[in-house]
Amino acid sequence: MFFRLLMESFRRQRRRKTLAGLAILLGTTAVTAMLALATTIGDRIHSELAVYGANIVVYPAADQLDVKVGGVDVKPVTGAAYLKESGLKKLRGIFWANNITGVSPELPVHIAGTTPSGKAVDATGTGMWFKHSLSDGGGSPLVTGAPTLHPLWKLNGAWPDEALSGPASTEIAVGNALASQLGLRLGDTISSSGKVALRVVGIVTTGDAIDEQILLPLNAAQMLAGAPDAVRRVEISARTKPEDAFARKDPDSLSPKLREVWYCRPYANSIAYQIREAIPGARAEQIRRVEQSEGNVLKRISGLMWLISAAAMLAAGFAVSAAMATAILERQAEIGLMRSLGASKGTIAFLFYVETGLLALFAGGFGYLIGSGLAGWLGARIFGSDASVSSGTIFNPVLLPVIIALALVVAIAGSTPAIRRALTMEPSAILRADV
Amino acid sequence: MTKDTPLVENLIEQTRPDCAVISLNGVTREYEGHAGKVCALDHASFSIVAGEWVAITGPSGSGKSTLVNLIGCLDRPTHGQLHIDGIDVATMSATELDRFRADKIGFIFQQFHLIPYLSAIENVMLAQYFHSMTDEKEARASLERVGLGQRADHLPSELSGGEQQRVCVARALINNPPILLADEPTGNLDATNQKIVAGLLQDLNRQGHTIVMVTHDPEMASLAQRRIALSHGKVFCHPVGSPVVTLRR
Ligand SMILES: Nc1ncnc2c1ncn2[C@@H]1O[C@H](COP(=O)(O)OP(=O)(O)O)[C@@H](O)[C@H]1O
Ligand SMILES: [Mg+2]
Repeated sequence: MFFRLLMESFRRQRRRKTLAGLAILLGTTAVTAMLALATTIGDRIHSELAVYGANIVVYPAADQLDVKVGGVDVKPVTGAAYLKESGLKKLRGIFWANNITGVSPELPVHIAGTTPSGKAVDATGTGMWFKHSLSDGGGSPLVTGAPTLHPLWKLNGAWPDEALSGPASTEIAVGNALASQLGLRLGDTISSSGKVALRVVGIVTTGDAIDEQILLPLNAAQMLAGAPDAVRRVEISARTKPEDAFARKDPDSLSPKLREVWYCRPYANSIAYQIREAIPGARAEQIRRVEQSEGNVLKRISGLMWLISAAAMLAAGFAVSAAMATAILERQAEIGLMRSLGASKGTIAFLFYVETGLLALFAGGFGYLIGSGLAGWLGARIFGSDASVSSGTIFNPVLLPVIIALALVVAIAGSTPAIRRALTMEPSAILRADV
Repeated sequence: MTKDTPLVENLIEQTRPDCAVISLNGVTREYEGHAGKVCALDHASFSIVAGEWVAITGPSGSGKSTLVNLIGCLDRPTHGQLHIDGIDVATMSATELDRFRADKIGFIFQQFHLIPYLSAIENVMLAQYFHSMTDEKEARASLERVGLGQRADHLPSELSGGEQQRVCVARALINNPPILLADEPTGNLDATNQKIVAGLLQDLNRQGHTIVMVTHDPEMASLAQRRIALSHGKVFCHPVGSPVVTLRR
């Protein structure tokens, strides 16, 4: 009988129920899309920042402090203040080697010369990798360089090719500000005082100090500086586990067993520790900039999403409330009759709650499906149609019970005022014969 | 009204209180209307014995429905004691009242109050459902008893007024309640159907059901053993040949 009542009441009052169902459907659709996107965006931002941002920096151990005067490193060129470029391939051999997604060594060098129009050049040059193949012999090489770690650098032209670096000529890229100051264009050649022809193949815009500099292949910089194999500093980006209290422990103070655990977790600290082990004379440190900005972005995005979700569910709740108020008002006579047959208020309330609950279940289920689809579509628009926003990450099964529960809560909360009011009405007044 | 004598005090003595299935003592029901308090029932005191058939008459607005709803425990008195089947309704909780209503009371309404989307038999089974358990065979038997065995699967809209009222009677009977409350049961029926329903009520009364029936129709009222007249919420009694009233004379 109970099911019969439920079924029939669904068949009747279709318009009101459609209205309430639609409200829940729209609400849950919005929430599903928001939550699905929030999780995808989190993954996505994490992976992008982890790939591109540097989170470990490596210095020579002797070099505790940068000594820079006017942006130019004035440390004497001694062996102790440099790392060996040839030593960097050992990065491919450490425990978490596969988590290292980018390596960018740097060597500053002073460049003096003249432009084709005869202007004097007196600039800082930075030798770096652009598309360097890093390999320790086994496995596939890691092709990496400064552009990998700085996705926001804008390049006009091409990156210098390290294979074309020679004692007589080399390719360079010029910072945007410096290029306009010197009137340099693509294809121009600076003849340096060291008799090396520096051919401009790219003009780069970075928004930082690089705009005033000349970028050249690391091997060319080493030749200009007369310091073969030398590297001043290395930026490394590695996929890491977020830092926790355990990550900040000093491994040498831990018991051997705990030290093993620490060592085998991909904390930035552990990876830095392994880099120090692999490259003698190196000082590797974690830099936290990336993780923090990632956290901030996520916090802001998820705050916004929660706000939208809450607003959507609130609106759904009001719509359900309005629809149920009229739906139940229309059934006053039924309620009065049921009371006269001995139905308690609880029994009748239960009937109405199950009815709205079922409605919420269906509407929430559909809302989940539609919302997931919407998230997929939005995700594709936000991130471009590239692969990693697959349907697998959008159809987040963990969300389904959350969404259903949310739909139930909203439906029940929305219909409670109407049900309560209907039940406080005197059945005698409803059933009065001669009204 | 002038010939009527208020019998408020005497009546309780006239009916034997130990047999009273319904007994009112100074029962008053007031409503908060727009223009202050409305006294729909004013110090009603009388008893109805088990197996009696009582007709309640009076002009519109005199408090007949109010009285029926009070006896049916759909409403509670503002003042006074109301005992039904020996129990003071004031002492019962809301849930106990619901239970009590399901067990002891069968309602028959002027507008039938059938659920429009349930078939005749389902309407009868609804009363079973709220009482205990549905039993289709029993429900069908109940419909056969009112002569609607063939129409069990019809919706109320497919039945005539008289047939709908018979469904209502079948529903009121299904849990075998000792007391039947009928608020103008034939008010919406033509003469033929009125006769059928009257016959059903006579049968039920013979089988021992106590019937409290509101009616405007003198013919219907004459079927009852006693008549209780209401006017402006006050009780007056008419002797209609019942043994109780004969005693009074
Ligand atoms: N719920 C209510 N609120 C206010 N006044 C009511 C209510 N129910 C009934 N009344 C008033 O009580 C009086 C008796 O009503 P009722 O018992 O329905 O009379 P009857 O059934 O004899 O026509 C009427 O004056 C009516 O207006
Ligand atoms: Mg009435």
